Amino acid sequence: MSGNLLKASRHLAVALAAFVLSAQAHAQDIPRLPSGKPDFSGVWQTLSEADYDLEPHVGRRDAPPGQGVVAEGKIPYLPEALELRQDNYENRMQDDPRLKCWSLGVPRSVYHPTPFQVFQRDSDLTLIHRLGHQTRTIHTNGSLHPEDGEELWMGDSRGKWEGDTLVVDVDDFNAETWLDRAGNFHSEDLHVVERWSFVDKDTIAYSATLEDPQVFSASWTINVLLHRRRDPGFVLIEDYCQTLEYDQFYPHKGDK
Amino acid sequence: MTRTALATLLLASSTIAAPAIAQEPTPSANAAKSERLPRVIKERLSIPEGEWTGPRLADGQPDVSGFWSNMIANHNNFTDPQAGAPGEPTEAANLPRDQRAPSRVSDPEDGQVPYLPEARVLQQDFAENFANPTKSRYIEPMARCAPAGVPKSLYWHGYEIRQYPGYVVFLFDTGTRIIRLGDAKHIHPDIKLWNGDSIGHWEGNTLVVDVTNNNGKALFGRTGDFMSENATVAERYVFAQDGASFNYVATFTDPTVYSRPWTATVPTRRYTAEDEPDGWHYDVTPVNNPGQPRDYEMPERICVENNGPFGGGAIGVVVHEPLIQR
Repeated sequence: MSGNLLKASRHLAVALAAFVLSAQAHAQDIPRLPSGKPDFSGVWQTLSEADYDLEPHVGRRDAPPGQGVVAEGKIPYLPEALELRQDNYENRMQDDPRLKCWSLGVPRSVYHPTPFQVFQRDSDLTLIHRLGHQTRTIHTNGSLHPEDGEELWMGDSRGKWEGDTLVVDVDDFNAETWLDRAGNFHSEDLHVVERWSFVDKDTIAYSATLEDPQVFSASWTINVLLHRRRDPGFVLIEDYCQTLEYDQFYPHKGDK
Repeated sequence: MTRTALATLLLASSTIAAPAIAQEPTPSANAAKSERLPRVIKERLSIPEGEWTGPRLADGQPDVSGFWSNMIANHNNFTDPQAGAPGEPTEAANLPRDQRAPSRVSDPEDGQVPYLPEARVLQQDFAENFANPTKSRYIEPMARCAPAGVPKSLYWHGYEIRQYPGYVVFLFDTGTRIIRLGDAKHIHPDIKLWNGDSIGHWEGNTLVVDVTNNNGKALFGRTGDFMSENATVAERYVFAQDGASFNYVATFTDPTVYSRPWTATVPTRRYTAEDEPDGWHYDVTPVNNPGQPRDYEMPERICVENNGPFGGGAIGVVVHEPLIQR
């Protein structure tokens, strides 16, 4: 990666953060629940190239160019982990779990370039993603992570409010999911802290800070914007793509 | 669905039995409700349609949010629900018919789906081949991690209902349904879906849902009962005033498969923190909420990621190769 591109991406991240901070101060007209908490209900989708490659990159056969969404510019891999990432990159057309319609995990499910719908109550937020069968509940009822948490595909999400920002602690991951199509990855020691806040009523500033002592030398942060899908009549259409291999046999069809 | 896979194997050749559980006399607000219903019954529930006098949400909807599960049996057998899957009869299958729960088909009175002759042949062919499938089409699709669809989701494990202004959301064991409330329009009829497209409204104690855009692929269970992509389903979820139960009453119309519209009825019971989790009807985990009353929450639901099919001769789930190119 060229130094200039890296530098440019750092500038972008700083500029984005400054923009978000200044915008939040004026976010008086955001939707709110009767309780007064910000109401993230709706259908959201990123316009970013994050899922193609979190880091700055030029265009290639399977990805448009992107300035990167990592606040630190590049992901601080430990040396051995960087080699694994390179293996993943080379085998990405076969090994990316998304190609099997598996649950994408957190934070990838948020910036995968497909819509998801948020349903919100005082006690929780329910995220229903279009791709595959993924759903996630962010509990906001004061509950804690399970004491003996199992390893989960989507992790265990417990949120709390800091002013108008929803801060979500996500833990109890397995090591099966990737962070993007470029083979960026994590281990079961991943721990994520998400921050969700309105920029305006139709835009969410989303950040995810990742730490994983098996894979990264330091914590690092992803910043993306999420945009409300406002297409007239837009409906989240199910996409159970795990069924595509066999759905032609039903109901009572096919001779194989 | 790690636990689900195990439970399915355990239940594959037997009627769902009520787990031996201690009824805990925990006093709470719910104790004022009617006596706790059994988990499994052999008869229909009578719940009249009418006004709703129970609690409401801020938007005016009757509050029916929470955990629910059917009270008869799983998807082994659609019209003789406690007799077991084809070729895998339960002990109860040897009893006189009236000692097992009646057919889910509540109209016509004979309890049979009024198939056209060629559709009946297809259903029977599936049932005859279910136990030893020689073709892909004889594998029950949910065994390959397909969503359970309509109506099977209503008798496959317990599930959670969450309500929001303008929506009722079902989080099923296998799949999710978003029911839009109000004057919404259905999506284009060319789009056929496992769970269809659902638009609903409340009439007193009854959630009325019009389900179109069905792809007919989910089947109704291991007996191969089915609808086609031409079917519409008119659902009525009739809730008891005490909030402890509801009847799922669904009328299926499909002139290409049935000789006339017919109706299925599925009695359903609420589960609360007063019930012990049992890994099937009430497949929940304890909330870690120190100092708060005992409560439960739905765990992560996973299926295709587990690399394996389950139940009833399931074979042929492709999970090692890419399925999509997007």
